[in-house]
Amino acid sequence: MTTTRRNLLKFVGGGAAGALLTPAPWRLITDSALWSENWPGIPRPAHGGITARFTHCTLCPAGCAVRARCVAGQPVSLTGVKPHAVSHGALCPWGIAGHHLPYHPARVRQGPVKEATAAVAQAIAQRGTGEHVAVLDLRPGRTVSWTHRRAMAAINGGLYLTPRQPGYSIDLAAAKTVISFGAPLFDGWGTPGNVIAARSIFRLIQIEPVETRTAAMADLWLPIQPGSEFMLAAALAGNMTLAEAALITGVGEQALAAVQEAAESGQAVVLAADPASPLMSLNEKYGALGRTVVARSDAPMPEAWKQAAPEMSMAAAPDGAIRVLLIDESLPGGYIPWRRIAPKLAPDAVVVVFTSSNDGYARHAQFVLPAAVYPETAEDIGPAIDTVAAVFRIAAPLIAPVVPAVDPARFVERLAGLPASEPLRERAGAIHKAGRGTLLDYTAAKSTPVKDVTADNFWKTLSQGGCWMDDSAKRTAPENLVFPAAGEPPRDERPLTVVVAEPRRGGLESPLMSKLERESNLRLAANRVALSPDGARASGIENGDRAVLETAFGRLNVVVAIDPSVPAGVVEVAGGPRMADLCGGNGRARVVRA
Amino acid sequence: MTGGKIAFASGMLLALAGGWLAFPRVLYRTHPQPVDFSHKIHAEKAGAKCEDCHAFRDDGTYAGIPTLDKCSGCHAAAMGTTAEEKNFIDRYVTPNREPQWLSYARQPENVYFSHIAHVKLGKVKCEQCHGNEGGAATLRPFAQDPISGYSRDIWGRPVNRIALRTEGGMKMDDCVDCHRRQGLEYSCLGCHK
Amino acid sequence: MTPRKRYGMSIDIDKCNGCGACMMACAVENNVPPVPEAANDRKGITWIRVYRVDNHRAYPERRTAYVPVLCQQCGHDTPCVHVCPQQAVDVDPETGIVGQMPERCLGCRYCMVACPYHARYFNWWDPAWPAGMEKTLNPNVAPRMRGVVEKCNFCHGRWHAAQQKAAAAGKREIDAADYVPACVEACPTGALRFGDLDDPSTEVAHDAARPESFRLLEKIGTEPKIHYRSQRDWVRDIANAPHPDGKDQHRG
Repeated sequence: MTTTRRNLLKFVGGGAAGALLTPAPWRLITDSALWSENWPGIPRPAHGGITARFTHCTLCPAGCAVRARCVAGQPVSLTGVKPHAVSHGALCPWGIAGHHLPYHPARVRQGPVKEATAAVAQAIAQRGTGEHVAVLDLRPGRTVSWTHRRAMAAINGGLYLTPRQPGYSIDLAAAKTVISFGAPLFDGWGTPGNVIAARSIFRLIQIEPVETRTAAMADLWLPIQPGSEFMLAAALAGNMTLAEAALITGVGEQALAAVQEAAESGQAVVLAADPASPLMSLNEKYGALGRTVVARSDAPMPEAWKQAAPEMSMAAAPDGAIRVLLIDESLPGGYIPWRRIAPKLAPDAVVVVFTSSNDGYARHAQFVLPAAVYPETAEDIGPAIDTVAAVFRIAAPLIAPVVPAVDPARFVERLAGLPASEPLRERAGAIHKAGRGTLLDYTAAKSTPVKDVTADNFWKTLSQGGCWMDDSAKRTAPENLVFPAAGEPPRDERPLTVVVAEPRRGGLESPLMSKLERESNLRLAANRVALSPDGARASGIENGDRAVLETAFGRLNVVVAIDPSVPAGVVEVAGGPRMADLCGGNGRARVVRA
Repeated sequence: MTGGKIAFASGMLLALAGGWLAFPRVLYRTHPQPVDFSHKIHAEKAGAKCEDCHAFRDDGTYAGIPTLDKCSGCHAAAMGTTAEEKNFIDRYVTPNREPQWLSYARQPENVYFSHIAHVKLGKVKCEQCHGNEGGAATLRPFAQDPISGYSRDIWGRPVNRIALRTEGGMKMDDCVDCHRRQGLEYSCLGCHK
Repeated sequence: MTPRKRYGMSIDIDKCNGCGACMMACAVENNVPPVPEAANDRKGITWIRVYRVDNHRAYPERRTAYVPVLCQQCGHDTPCVHVCPQQAVDVDPETGIVGQMPERCLGCRYCMVACPYHARYFNWWDPAWPAGMEKTLNPNVAPRMRGVVEKCNFCHGRWHAAQQKAAAAGKREIDAADYVPACVEACPTGALRFGDLDDPSTEVAHDAARPESFRLLEKIGTEPKIHYRSQRDWVRDIANAPHPDGKDQHRG
């Protein structure tokens, strides 16, 4: 046999035919298909024993009870705790994905701790007479807040500043009619489960310019001319005729009469989007004070804590006199627009913020220090607006801190020279000593009167995500309830009224929120505004266009959505710190095509 | 003329030999187990049943290969005189480091397999799928298909599926065969997730 | 052998306030990743999506309702099963659940065209979670790969878990309380209910028989197993609309 070209080809041909009769080519085809299903980069979920652990959500003051399904100790999904006297097993979309926050790509992961400490110490040492050290606590009423207050009492010229506080609780179960001036009852106002549970009892009249989620669920929605809420309130109070009010508010006279009748038929309560709004004073007329609007009660606390700095609103702070401002933004709360804070600062003030998000005061402070996020730390949650009995709920940590976080309370404590303490435990001790109320143990699914529990077991249960709830006391009218008079809005020629249609607290939110904001059209994202078709046409803007939202205080790049449910003359926005800095709630704005 | 036939036939023979004999050998990469564990010795001295070490958790999920705690329960100090045990204690028990066992039978992520349903409801014996692993005196090396990443036990032992062992295999075909015999074959989602 | 079920859902539109808890719980449960910045409402993946629908009137007469739409689990002539060239879709005779097998899917998206409810979603990108977040994945559901279609399967991982729990107790029949999809569990208002439509004692069977109950596109005869209901006439009219998402509003 000679090696010819023809024979070589036949050899190769024979080889190919033979190969087809073996498993090799077929196997390689399947294997490469399998490889394509297991690209490097497709993560494999960890496996392990499945357990349930309990905590409370700290994302808002509602503090809903949370049951975490954990795989090998790591929480993989969160649900509410059923049955529960207050939160009724409900969680909001933010709470459902709260366990993602520690891994948020935009989280503040490090900060100049040493530099901040040195700068603060130097500023305190060098401050002039009449210059103050202040803590701004965005979520007052927590045990940590008391640490801040004690520290500020210990420092000469220490101030404890908070956003405006309601100073009362609302007992929704005692209301037959709820007249809500834009209070987002179904979207972050109170405890979701509690509002939904009470919903079957009361009739809801929602007064607001746009059809929010709450307005869509109301028995009666009154689309009101934006900014004319006080006129409607004046008509309800009898200071204006219904005909006059109808003309100004755009709400029909008949509808106004219906509201008046419902309000005066008994057991009505008035709620406002801003809990400190003068609109709340209508409650006196309807006899809701002491029945639905009741004095807030706090959990017992150690006697020694009462030597604390008083709560002070930002407006009351002296101008140009805060030399050191420490902002505790570890939990998102009522953001005060920076333009209200800036005038209070001394020229060479040092501003330190403890936060996990770059969206809030981190934009304004010199020193941004990383704070722990839910569910990394043990802390309690301030009172919810719709919880009447005092509660003490601990958010038990579910995972170890992912970044080296700074504890704002420890920082402030050290600054004031207070000894390091375990305030949660001390407070639990004080509650146990008082001997009132019930201990809810979610793990064992039972509730026990406090007097039947030993102090050690009381603390142990609480620190594993338990809850103490006071006995329902006699309801009393809130004291010192002063609502400031409504100020005249500044004159502004801009054509559109800003309406916050999407209440947001700011702070981190799960990356999965894109499901509601970008991947569907359910919620208005922070960088989006909605205009009416007429309003958009007037500005030459089409759906999806990039534009600039311009107010008296600044500009923001946004994407415009055209939505026929938006009234003419209104621009709908989502809330949050950036929007608060830009317009501080309802202001005037212009949308210009970019 | 015959020269061409011979060339064709020899090419074919070479390919057949390569595909049937050499390919299965070169396809898999073998990795040694971290410790040469003897199921045989442990079955004789420590636990008679598989479940004594390969236990179910309280919620019915299968815990798989026992963790180091289970081993340290007895092997906190050397119990015998073998070098392998001493090595195990020095490298894993004393520094409290989990041995990275290579699981022969780990199914792909998209497979849902409930051990307890098969063992408790189906009365399937461990050996029926896993073979006589419990009687082996030594751990065989872990063979892995480097392209798919699957273990040889679940993905082609033997490659040609002709000489299928009586204890079956762990390919999807083997699952389906058994389920079909029992009339328990419904839909993809029954076994996939 | 376990008795056959016909799992279905009832949705009270009048109770839905559009909070989106169901969508979040679904994505968490089923390991659906957040999509990249470039994605929009056409390329996102939401096994359950709450649509805003309205009565087509101008402000201030305009009224909004929120309608959660998920795979309607068609029980007859299931369109996606018919068109799939890969047999990647099947209907489980045991549960009535329409299953989608990502490993079999070749990504032709014929099923997405065939689906009358726009309830199927395509993976335009590899699934990617921010670093560390992959620790929060649910082990009962396998992540899918780029280039395949996926959709709601009534949280089938939970069905497996319920089966496992029953098996541990030596039972073949699962406890109804152990098998509830994540969206139903998460709904704070109780608008969503789940159960066996063939069992007259269940809440869903009762809901489905109510006079104000309707199904989306009932007229095309695919026997969907999601039963909606509303007291409002204009809301019930959406049953015949071609697509619940008006083209004139894109807010997300």
